[in-house]
Amino acid sequence: MNESSVLVIESDPIVRESLSGWLSSTGFEVTSAEDGARIVKVFAKSDFNIVIMDVRLHSETQLATLREMKAIRPRIKTIIITSHPQEEKVLEAKKIGVVDYIVKPVDMDDLQKIIQGTVESICRDNVNITEDNTSFETSGDDLVPGIKKSFAISRENLSLMVENLLKETEVIGVKAKQGKYVYDRIYGFYELSLDYDVTVSPPTGYMFPAKETLLKFKTGNGNHVEPVIEYTPRVIIGVHPYDIKAIELLDEVFMNHNPDPNYTARRENTVIIGVDCLHPSPRSFAPSMGTNWTETGFDLLLTDIGNSYIVKIGTEKGAELLAKHTKYRLPTGDEIVRQKKVRGEALNRYKIALDTPKDRIPKILEESYDDPYWENRSATCLSCGSCIMVCPTCYCFDVKDEMAMNLKEGERFRRWDGCMLVDFAKVASGENFRKDKASRFRHRMFRKGKYILERYGKVGCVGCGRCSSACLAGIASPLEAFNSLAENIRLKEAATSVIQPAKQARHIYTPEMAEILSVRQLTEKEKVFELKLKSGKKLGHYPGQFVTVSIMGTGEAPLSISSSPLRGKNFQLAVRNMGDLTSALHSVEAGATVGIRGPFGNGFPLETLEGRDLLLIAGGIGLFPLRSLIQYVMDRRYDYGKVSLLYGCRTPAERVFTEELDFWQNSKEIDFHETVDMPCEGWTGNVGVITNLIDKVDIDPKKTMVAVVGPPVMYKFVIEKLKKRDLPDAHVFLSLERKMKCGVGKCGHCQINGIYTCQEGPVFSLTQLRSLREAVL
Amino acid sequence: MKPKVAFFDFTGCEGCQLDALNLDAEDLIDLLNGIDIVNFREVMTERSDNYEIAFVEGSITTEGEIERIKKIREQAKTVVALGACAGIGGVNCLKNHVPMEEALRIVYGKDAKYYNTIPARPADAVIKVDHYVRGCPPSTSELVKVIKALLLNKKPDIPNYPVCVECKMAGNICVYEKGQTCLGPVTRAGCNAICITSGRYCWGCRGLVDEPNIQSQKDILNKYGLTAEQVIEKFKIYDTCSEVLK
Ligand SMILES: Cc1cc2nc3c(=O)[nH]c(=O)nc-3n(C[C@H](O)[C@H](O)[C@H](O)COP(=O)(O)OP(=O)(O)OC[C@H]3O[C@@H](n4cnc5c(N)ncnc54)[C@H](O)[C@@H]3O)c2cc1C
Ligand code: SF4
Ligand code: SF4
Ligand code: SF4
Ligand code: SF4
Ligand code: SF4
Ligand code: FES
Repeated sequence: MNESSVLVIESDPIVRESLSGWLSSTGFEVTSAEDGARIVKVFAKSDFNIVIMDVRLHSETQLATLREMKAIRPRIKTIIITSHPQEEKVLEAKKIGVVDYIVKPVDMDDLQKIIQGTVESICRDNVNITEDNTSFETSGDDLVPGIKKSFAISRENLSLMVENLLKETEVIGVKAKQGKYVYDRIYGFYELSLDYDVTVSPPTGYMFPAKETLLKFKTGNGNHVEPVIEYTPRVIIGVHPYDIKAIELLDEVFMNHNPDPNYTARRENTVIIGVDCLHPSPRSFAPSMGTNWTETGFDLLLTDIGNSYIVKIGTEKGAELLAKHTKYRLPTGDEIVRQKKVRGEALNRYKIALDTPKDRIPKILEESYDDPYWENRSATCLSCGSCIMVCPTCYCFDVKDEMAMNLKEGERFRRWDGCMLVDFAKVASGENFRKDKASRFRHRMFRKGKYILERYGKVGCVGCGRCSSACLAGIASPLEAFNSLAENIRLKEAATSVIQPAKQARHIYTPEMAEILSVRQLTEKEKVFELKLKSGKKLGHYPGQFVTVSIMGTGEAPLSISSSPLRGKNFQLAVRNMGDLTSALHSVEAGATVGIRGPFGNGFPLETLEGRDLLLIAGGIGLFPLRSLIQYVMDRRYDYGKVSLLYGCRTPAERVFTEELDFWQNSKEIDFHETVDMPCEGWTGNVGVITNLIDKVDIDPKKTMVAVVGPPVMYKFVIEKLKKRDLPDAHVFLSLERKMKCGVGKCGHCQINGIYTCQEGPVFSLTQLRSLREAVL
Repeated sequence: MKPKVAFFDFTGCEGCQLDALNLDAEDLIDLLNGIDIVNFREVMTERSDNYEIAFVEGSITTEGEIERIKKIREQAKTVVALGACAGIGGVNCLKNHVPMEEALRIVYGKDAKYYNTIPARPADAVIKVDHYVRGCPPSTSELVKVIKALLLNKKPDIPNYPVCVECKMAGNICVYEKGQTCLGPVTRAGCNAICITSGRYCWGCRGLVDEPNIQSQKDILNKYGLTAEQVIEKFKIYDTCSEVLK
């Protein structure tokens, strides 16, 4: 049997054809089928190793199909394509033969990797049956430095190691400075203070510096853009376990899903030599967060046991380094006992602790969202950002363009930013999604205690205590917040996880070049642009997704894709002139080149909408994103029941895409109604707010799905009205606007509670939004 | 078309304009390629009243100056306040804390009666100011940043967060930890916390951030041992004070 025979099961003919085509061209033997009922028949006839299947994980029939397949061919490897995967569902699927999943929209590179991995594992399985249990453990010389082994090393030999390292690489270490400790470059072992309490700033800045260039570019002809990845190989010595845990979190954030090339390059060229924290700062509560010891995340880890150190090996790199640079020996029984003893004593030196198990923090926070604590406690907050600037687990950033004096070339750089700063969530229109101190203060604590944990499965605060030392107002300690809130709280079980979708281009910050094919004025302030990627590739978007548009030197901004993916290779963006980027875009002409990243975000839930009656509601330029869905639905009109479209704007002069409005008005395929708030002379249509239009349509709440896009004020009233018409929350989808910089779930600007709008959004069901308090409906 | 740029001075030391020239030659040439300086008191002899961008320096301290700056506003498309005096009132405002006649007497002694003065005020107390080059003296790099932004038709990248952010980015040990005090928590960043990095503290020369928590800053100064009067003195130097006394 051929190891690479694949069955593709996908109901969307476009996706099915392109997937099958691509797979055959990559050397797979492909059979395709349209739906579940036919699968089992195909199955009985032929033999497959791999099944790629588009699955709605919440559909019981589809899970049943999976089970049936598994029963017929127990060794089948199924890869599923899905949207919005939830952890429990994925686990359930894994029990019935699913080896991996990929999130829509499918990135072909990711898919290829997964399939390749699966083929390899099939080959391995076939081998393992015959020659099982090959062990890597060699039971030879105990002195061979291997991972997880511990040795003893004298202070002199440690010094020898550091001096040898200094000959070949940059060494960063902990030094005393003005009565405090800092990480800094060292030139000799004597400079090191390995028995420090805590450093002023964390070591994470060596992997994620305060400011760094992401891209260099030239403007004008050709718009040359080049990623910049700079790093210096170095050894950091003296890292405490809580900081190692923080680095592990950053690794998770920056190296998994949409790997950040700049962080990755630095991290891969950094050797970490940790040291156990035996004299903790009085503000540290690392044991409460489970970060006072660590078994992972270091290359070598030292424990000071008096005359000598115990050194534990964490990686091959660490083992090599030890073997190459110094002498060590097996620890004596006495030394092992001493290590236990010093660690025990260290534990007794912590002054503060959580009053509640750390697993309960997410629940405590969840239940304290509206607690007056936030308002009261943040009254003295200076919004000075000190707490987030010194925090090892903070990683938010801003992105800006800086031009050289000649205005012909420049750089796009990133710089630390963070949620405690006033403008962090403020967008061009002036709206600030976290405008008061209390909401910023609360957001930070939720990040530290809940959102990070749920998103990445790692603690968001490692209990180093730096923030509470740095805060002049004396309010920044998460421990204090968690303890105060815990007091008043009924405790429930820890919350569940959210999995984030994966994919993206190789260098996630480098835009792809696109040509503007045409520009058309819509109103005084709005234009529509038609674009094509210079690579000739299709953008590959789903209705409701967005891209970021770059004009090098001016910057970047998120813009929704305004056209249907079913209408050729070109795509359209409709843009209101609001600020720097948008006004620069308004001044370019056809033929110009701009940068595009994306598509990003989830888009409208096409599977859920299919086969239903649709009620589409657009307010103002909310029509820009919604138009992609309207066009898509018109292109596949036979897939839907009744389709109604409501459109409202302030004045007749602000109506956009007027020809299309006329077309819909006259079309039998769509029930179209529009209104303006303020009429002008000659206006004969409806006058009044958009909610009035809802009365004009017949709605069968069971069959109808609603998609709404408009300004925040509109949502509240539309939702109220839909409630009156008995539409269930799960049938209502809204697209939210938030400030966005990176589009790939890193920079933090678009966060709504624990959710990243650029990843899980911008389209949310009302059910989801009800649990997101910051969404304010 | 290169935009025409003019520099004007009001009551101040002109240290700001001098500092502006402190560019290295190559940068200066690049800069001059982009703009046309038609009026710059320190380097040009010819003057012109035909300009689009006006840099004003110094605070407004006489009735005559009010008229003059209004004229500039009418002519210029963009007005940029250069330095602490023009931007926030600056050191000149120290005199506002004593009665006017007293101020005249301190400055001019017996000749006081020949002078006419009004409380010193920043340019934006009289006219609309589009952009600010902050600091005392204003940094060349910020001046260049503002000019570049004007040429690119975008907002200059001047943060609305306090000096503490840049101070932490620089990895400094907070001066409060050493028993000193500092106005960093309410002062607008953009100087890379240069004073703290070079061993001093922040005295607020770049003016306040948009939403300063003055009460909390006062409490903190108090907590670190300053009396109410000393707190006010501390804020006075650059007239962050008028804001504070409100
Ligand atoms: C998912 C999404 C889809 C959007 N689709 C469209 C569209 O189809 N058509 C359209 O005209 N506008 C759209 N917007 C709004 C558009 O992104 C902003 O008007 C634009 O970012 C303003 O940038 P600027 O440089 O012109 O303004 P500036 O004021 O100079 O922007 C400053 C910075 O803040 C950020 N920012 C400011 N406002 C916003 C905002 N509203 N949303 C996100 N980031 C912001 C930008 O990244 C920018 O770098 C969309 C926004 C989002 C989040
Ligand atoms: S929140 Fe505070 S205690 Fe927790 S890791 Fe960050 S700086 Fe350390
Ligand atoms: S959102 Fe999180 S990581 Fe970002 S600054 Fe706030 S606390 Fe730090
Ligand atoms: S909590 Fe403290 S350190 Fe953080 S922003 Fe507020 S005052 Fe500054
Ligand atoms: S020294 Fe001043 S600017 Fe720096 S952190 Fe302390 S208060 Fe802020
Ligand atoms: S640190 Fe303070 S006083 Fe010094 S330049 Fe910056 S704003 Fe001015
Ligand atoms: S995390 Fe950067 S835009 Fe969403």
